Amino acid sequence: MAWFTDRHFFLLAVAVYGLSTMYSVFLWRKGFRQDDHVNYLLLLAAFLLHTSAMFKRGFSLNQCPVNNLFEATMFIAWSAAAAYLVIGLLPRLRFLGAFVSPVLFAIGVFAMMPELDPPHGPTPQFTGALTSLHAATILLAYGAFGLAAAAAGMFLTEQHDLKFHKLRAVLSLLPPIQRLETVAGRLVLAGFILFTIGLEAGRFLPRSAGAGYWSDPKVIWSIFMWAVYLILLLSRRFLAQSSRRFAYGIMAAFAFLLLTFWGTNLLSPLHHP
Amino acid sequence: MNIVVIGLSHHSSPVELRERFAFAEAKIPDALKTLRESGSAAEAVILSTCNRVEIYAATAWEPARAFAELKKFLLRWSETTEGLEVGSSRCDDRTAQRAVPTTTDSELYTLAEPQSLQHLFRVAGGLDSMVLGETEILGQLKEAYLLAHRHGHTGARLNKAFQRAFHVAKHVRTHTNIQRGSISVASAAVELAEKIFSSLREREVLVIGAGDTSEKTARALRSRGARNIIIASRSLERAQILAREFGGRAVPFDAWAAEFEKIDIVISSTSAPHPILDRARLEPLMQARQQRPLLLIDIAVPRDINPEVNFLENVYLYNIDDLQAIADGYLKQRKDEIARCEAIIAEKVKPLLDVRASADYADERRLFFTRQRKSAQSAD
Repeated sequence: MAWFTDRHFFLLAVAVYGLSTMYSVFLWRKGFRQDDHVNYLLLLAAFLLHTSAMFKRGFSLNQCPVNNLFEATMFIAWSAAAAYLVIGLLPRLRFLGAFVSPVLFAIGVFAMMPELDPPHGPTPQFTGALTSLHAATILLAYGAFGLAAAAAGMFLTEQHDLKFHKLRAVLSLLPPIQRLETVAGRLVLAGFILFTIGLEAGRFLPRSAGAGYWSDPKVIWSIFMWAVYLILLLSRRFLAQSSRRFAYGIMAAFAFLLLTFWGTNLLSPLHHP
Repeated sequence: MNIVVIGLSHHSSPVELRERFAFAEAKIPDALKTLRESGSAAEAVILSTCNRVEIYAATAWEPARAFAELKKFLLRWSETTEGLEVGSSRCDDRTAQRAVPTTTDSELYTLAEPQSLQHLFRVAGGLDSMVLGETEILGQLKEAYLLAHRHGHTGARLNKAFQRAFHVAKHVRTHTNIQRGSISVASAAVELAEKIFSSLREREVLVIGAGDTSEKTARALRSRGARNIIIASRSLERAQILAREFGGRAVPFDAWAAEFEKIDIVISSTSAPHPILDRARLEPLMQARQQRPLLLIDIAVPRDINPEVNFLENVYLYNIDDLQAIADGYLKQRKDEIARCEAIIAEKVKPLLDVRASADYADERRLFFTRQRKSAQSAD
C-alpha cells in the first residue's frame, strides 16, 4: 500500500465532496424538505479521507502539514469541513452541508493541481512550532470564513424566498434566517480571532536578512483582509448594518480571499525565501 | 381468527346518520359484552368519534356471516335509545338532533383481512381523517382500545393488531411529512414567524384591529411562546378583553405606532378603507427599531398595509392570500405523502398477515392429525 499516497487519500476525499455536491443539487431541487442525514454522512466520509491525507502528510514531514500551497489549501478545506460537522450536529443546521460541499469540492479540485505541491526536498519550506501555530491558526480562520460564507449564502437564499413569498421558504426544513445570521456572525468572529492570533504569531517568525515584515505583499494582503473582516463585524455591531448587506459582505470577502490567496502567496518573499 | 371492520365515517355518511349510531362512552362496555355474547365476535373494540363509528372484531366466523350479524347488532343498537345520549359521544355536539336512519347499505362499510388491518393502520395514522394527518384520532383509538382491553373484550389478535397500529402511526409520523405544517391560516402565520425568528419566546406581537382571524393568529403565537401581545383596537373595551385573555396589554387605536420600536410581529385586520401603514410611515419606524426583522401579517380586506413596504430591508409582508397559499401548500405536501404512508402500512401489515397464515396452518395441521388419530382409533 506504499504506492497509496496522501494525495490519493485527498483525491478520494475530493471525489466524495463531489458526490456530496451532486447530492446537494438534488436537495435544492427537493426544496430541503427531508432530513439531511445522507449529505452529512457523505461529508463525514470525505472528512475522514481528508484527515487521513493530512495525517499521512503530517507524519511524513513530522510536523503540521502547512508547508506549501497544496497543504495550505487542503488545511483550509479541512477546517471548514470540521467546523461544518460540528455545527451540523444540530438537525436544522445540517442543511448547511448543501452550501459547504460545492465550496469544498472547488477548493479540493484547485488544491490537486500538481504545481501547488512541489517536492519538499530534504527539509520543508517552513519549520518550527511557531510556524505551525501561525499557519494552522490562519488556515483555520480561512476555514471559519469559508463556512461563514456558506451560512451567508444559505441566509440570502432563504431570505429571498421569504421576501418573494416562495412556498419552499416555509415548507423547507431550513433553519430560521435569524439563526443563520447569528451562526454566520459567530463564525466570522471566530475566524477573525484566529486570524489575529495567526498574524501576531507571524510577526515573531525568523526572517531571512533584508526581508521586511510590513513590506511583504502577503502580510499587506493579510492586514487588508483582517481590516475587511473587522469592518464587517464593527458595522454589524455599531452601525445596524442590514442582515442582507452583512451576508453579501461575508460572501464577497471570502470570494476575494480565495481568488487572491494563492497569488499573494507566490509574490511573498517571506513565504518563498 | 379473522379481523373484520364494520362502520361508517365522514367518507360514507352524513353527520345525521353517524350520530344515530354513535356510542356513548359509558355504554360501550355493555355494547361490547352484548356483541361478544352474540358469538359474532370473540374480541371487539368500538371506536365512536365525531367522524366515525366502527367496530373492530376478531371473529372465527366466515366474514360474510360475521358482517350480517354485526350489521344487525349495529342497527339494533341504533334503534335502542338507552345506549345513546345526545352530546355524550366524543363529538360532543350537544346541538345535534338525532334522525332516524333511512338506509345503511351504502353507508356501512365492511372490511375483512387484509383490508381491515390496513384500514385500522390508516385510521391510526390519520390518513382516513377529515383533516388529513391529524393526530387526535390516534388518542381516540387508544382510548377505545384501552376501554375494551380493561373490560376484557380484547385478546391476542386484537391486542397485537392495535399495538402494531399504534407503532405504525408513530413510525408514519416520524418518517413522513404527513403531519408536518399547518393547514389553517392562523397556524401558517406562526410557521412563517418561526422561519424568520430564532425563537418566538422573546417576540412581542402587536394586533391592530381585533378580528376573528387576527385573534386566532395571536392565540397561536402566544401558544408558541410569544412574550407579549399588545392589542390596538378602535373599541378599547374589546381590546382590553382580548388583552386580559392573552395576558397582554391594550392600547388606544391611535397609539399603535408608538409601540413599533419594541414589536417584532404585526397582525393587522382593521376595517379601514385605506392602508394604515405605508413605506413612508414605516421607514423611520424601522430605523428606530435598528433594522431588526419585522413580520407584517395583513389579514384585512381591503388591505391595511401598502405592499410597497415589502421592499424595505428586513420587512416581511404577508397578506391573507399568501397565508392561504402556505396552508394549501402544506395540505398538498400532506397529500403527496399519502403514497409513502400507504407503502409503510402495506409493509407493516404483512407480518401480521404472515403470523395469521402460519397460525391457520398450525390449526389445520392439528385438525388433520386429530382426524387421523380418530379414524385410526375407530379402525382399531
